[in-house]
Parts: sequence; structure tokens; C-alpha cells
Amino acid sequence: MFKQRIVALLFVLVSMQAHAAALMGFEDSYMFKTEASKYSQELMFNYAFSVRHALGVEVMRMSPKGKGETIMTGLNYTGLLKRWNLPHAQANFWFTTSIGEANGEHDGFSYSPGIQLDYETTRVYFLAKARLLRAPGMNNDTAAIQGGFAFYEAGFDETQPWFVIEAKTTRNFNPSMQVTPALRLINKNFFLELGVTNPFDRDERAAKLNLMFTY
Amino acid sequence: MKKLIIVICLFTSPAAFAANSIKATVNGMVCAFCAKGIEKKLKSLTEGKAVFVDLKSRVVVLELKEGVTAPLEAFSAAITDAGYSINKVEAVPQSIADIKADIKGKKHD
Repeated sequence: MFKQRIVALLFVLVSMQAHAAALMGFEDSYMFKTEASKYSQELMFNYAFSVRHALGVEVMRMSPKGKGETIMTGLNYTGLLKRWNLPHAQANFWFTTSIGEANGEHDGFSYSPGIQLDYETTRVYFLAKARLLRAPGMNNDTAAIQGGFAFYEAGFDETQPWFVIEAKTTRNFNPSMQVTPALRLINKNFFLELGVTNPFDRDERAAKLNLMFTY
Repeated sequence: MKKLIIVICLFTSPAAFAANSIKATVNGMVCAFCAKGIEKKLKSLTEGKAVFVDLKSRVVVLELKEGVTAPLEAFSAAITDAGYSINKVEAVPQSIADIKADIKGKKHD
């Protein structure tokens, strides 16, 4: 029964109506984004008050192997510093930061500025990002690269499946390197991604689910 | 420069005054998110009746209400305000259905 509900929910989500790399939606839009894996979970909600700036809230839960969890809650700003509009591609340079409070294994003022560079066509996609994740006694700075390709070209109203792979490294975190191949489904203003982190390591293997919705 | 191009298009094309639609080729429009933002901006133009976006051909069309003058400048501003750049813009006598059929025809060629 539970499985059927999950399948039904996923079906509804996919059949609902995403920029694979976007950190915010279009002007006057709201974006809801989650990333959930065994080792960290993130939930972000923001409002794009202009084509280049968005404000929102963000909650991150870090739960490394062998250590207690830390939850970072903060106000989030996203800025599109530069966009390159090419005939068949788009490239963006982003800045994002959250300022707030950490609770759990580490307590106190937390901050997490980061940058992202991405390049995308209708068929391929590449992204590199780096972000500081700091709180008193905590340094979980991360860097990640992602790449992917679409299985086929899709229209504006059609679902487009992508294969994406991410390699992410996190300081003072176990596992420090997380490689996640995933299947991503994009349809208009929604994306759903299902992946497996470190699939070839029996001890570290873990499912990952990402969702993003803009309206 | 963009304004100059628009003005040249406006005065050199007689179709601009009997246009059914405005058609543009847009740079940077590679994803559904991009298209959604452009669509939203164009839908706010009062002269428009319907909007059509084709990601593969990078074409954006605004079909006009009957009897209105093609708002080329407002159309172009809506796309650039959404964060994208225009490669080519023109007022055309076709409807969205005609343009869709053209694109479909080209895909099957």
C-alpha cells in the first residue's frame, strides 16, 4: 500500500509539469528544492524578486558517518552574477549564501557562501560549484562537479529524461567523496532526480532523491 | 543597437502593420525553465492572444489580437527582461498554428 502511494506520488509529480542547474526561477516565481540522501538533507525555498536575485530560507541537515548531526537553518540569497546567452547554449555564474544558526553537534552562527558555474544546451549539461559550510568548530566546505546528457530532445511540454553524474567532496566529512549517478526527469517547471551515492561501495551506498519545483 | 534593429524591422517590413504574430529566435533559451519565464512575460502583453515556444528551434511567437499594431519593442523588451537575448525578431502574417506546422514540416524534412 505504502509502495503504491509512493509510486502514485512520483507519477503525479512527474506528470506535473526545470533548468537543470538553476538556483532560482524566473522573475516573480517561487522555487522549492530538496536534496535528500543518507548523509545530508537540504530544503530550500526562495522567491525571485527580479530576474537576477532571489531571497529565501534554507535548512541543511548534515549527518556524517560516525558523528552527530548538525542542522543549519538560515536566510538564503541567490544572485545571478553573469549570464551568457549563446545561440544554442546558456552559461551562468551564480553566487549564493545562507546566514543563520547551527544546532546539534555544532552550535552557533553559521554561514555558507558559494559560487556555481554552469553550461547547458538542450542535450548536455555541465556544472562546477564550491561552497563553504561553516559553524563554530565545523568546516564542511564542499566542491562538486556535475555533468549529464539528455536521452533525446524534448518539446516544451514533454518530459525529458537525463542521465547525470555528480562527484562531490566535503571536508571533515565521512564519506568525504560522494559519487552519485542519477536519472533526472524534467518537465516544464519541475524536476525529479533519483540516484545512488557511491554505488560500488557496499558500506557507503545510499539512495538520493532530489526534487525541484518552480511556480 | 537592438532598438535600431527593431525600428529597421518595423519600417522595412510592410507585414508589420498587418501582422498576425511576432516571431523571434532567442539565444540562451535551452531549457523549460527559460521558456517558462519568457512565456510568463509575454503573456502579460495586452496585445497578445497566445504564446508559443519551441525549444529546439529557439523560436518564440506571440500571436496578436485582431487589429492591434505589432508591439515589437515591448515584445523584445519582455524577452530581454526575462534574461535572454534576441537573435532575430519580425512581425509575420502567420498564426501560431501556421508556425507550428512550418516547424513540424521542417522537422520531418
